Amino acid sequence: MPDLFDIFFYIIIHGLFNTLLLTALGLLGGFLLGIVLAIMRVYGAKELIWLSSGYEKLLRGIPILILIFIFAFGMPDLFWYLDLLDRPLASVILALALRSGAYQSQIFRGAILSVNPGQMEAAQALGMSKVQAFRSIIIPQALRLAVPSWTNEYAVVIKDSSFAYAVGIVEMTKAAYDLGVGFTDLWALSIGVAAILYFLFTYPVARVFGEQQTKKLKKLGMGGG
Amino acid sequence: MKREIGILGMVICIVVGFSLGWFIPGLFTEPAPTPLIDQIQARGYIIVGTSADYPPFENKTYPGGEIVGFDIDVSQMIADALGVTLQMQDIGFDSLIGACRAGTIDMIAAAMTYNTVRAAQLAASITYISVSQVVIVKNDSLVFPAPISNLTDLIGFEVGCQLGTVMQTELEAIVGITVYTYASADVLIQDLNAGGIDAAYVDGPIFNAWEGTYVLRIIYSSEETPLALWTRHGEPALLYEINKVIFDSYQDGSMYTLINKWFGNVTA
Repeated sequence: MPDLFDIFFYIIIHGLFNTLLLTALGLLGGFLLGIVLAIMRVYGAKELIWLSSGYEKLLRGIPILILIFIFAFGMPDLFWYLDLLDRPLASVILALALRSGAYQSQIFRGAILSVNPGQMEAAQALGMSKVQAFRSIIIPQALRLAVPSWTNEYAVVIKDSSFAYAVGIVEMTKAAYDLGVGFTDLWALSIGVAAILYFLFTYPVARVFGEQQTKKLKKLGMGGG
Repeated sequence: MKREIGILGMVICIVVGFSLGWFIPGLFTEPAPTPLIDQIQARGYIIVGTSADYPPFENKTYPGGEIVGFDIDVSQMIADALGVTLQMQDIGFDSLIGACRAGTIDMIAAAMTYNTVRAAQLAASITYISVSQVVIVKNDSLVFPAPISNLTDLIGFEVGCQLGTVMQTELEAIVGITVYTYASADVLIQDLNAGGIDAAYVDGPIFNAWEGTYVLRIIYSSEETPLALWTRHGEPALLYEINKVIFDSYQDGSMYTLINKWFGNVTA
């Protein structure tokens, strides 16, 4: 019969890598998508604004589990170039990235808009082009402003990655579930351990990056935090 | 004059458009797909889907986390016959049929009962084992002191079963039974033992697997129902191989060895 330490160990050994992989790639994909969508939304022409806000509304309205099922079972040939066994993982990463991109576009849109528009004018008055001003004046400030809300998005994605168990990926939730199946007396305990592990991977990050960054920004007189 | 040219142009465009539309599908039609059995042998492994929460048919080892069970050993025999390695995919029971139809997995081995609804969606093998379904209660149950003769005797009581199983369909067809569904058998049995439900309707081998852990009693046993392995329709060569393995294993007795290994004294 495994003790508490064994349960922690089992879940970490069997599930942690996949959970972190899904979270990292989902966040990265969402970051790239979100930045592009936010720029389209803030600076784009009418059609681009329409496209970006439409995408965001659509993706925010679909549950993540449905998205995962669509890509994993609904479009089985979507990742035709991948090995058949890797396709579910790729489907989940795609679903997480597309969904997170919709939310992150809002985060970055807010961040870009909260940089004082006077700075753009000042930069242009100094002879910078609009692109130059955006790249070296707006974006560095906007990314700093986005950090607190972005850590919140990290917390959302790491928790959403637990849905990957539905298509047969062994991540922390699935590992805890498997342990509960093997030892019925430990069912509640192993699920509880998984809950603690998710918390341990969520709270410190939110604390270090979120709260400290908010304080720092306040010192600099930026953001409402 | 301009108007005539315009009209002529429109007519030409429509004719060209329609004729292109007639031919384009022909260009996009794929050549006949290679049979699944050839694909499996080309890639060197067969992907078998299961829901690893149903001992003794399938569950995971501790601490290795490998999927083991009766169905896995049967699948291994099929993989051996095809000359490929076996890759198990652990998917929720309700998602298995969708996954197999989509091509995520090649075959299902998950103690899945044969019925016509499933047979319309997937191709069933010959029966590889028959099990009876049993209604079980706690041994000291006062609600059911004696065996019952029919499922309708459960009317008015709270009965648990596994989500997406034939037992669920059977129970829900009877008006008056409060049906509780569980994603996995272990939680179901645990809840029965804790008194959350009055009775549970499960596969016979499930009772045998858990009677060592909890003190349970059978009050009703159905006729034996056949379990099948499932693959996609239109793959006769693969289905033939699967059926041949099952048939041969009963002929040479290797299936009985497996049954004894996993179910102990259960008659099959």
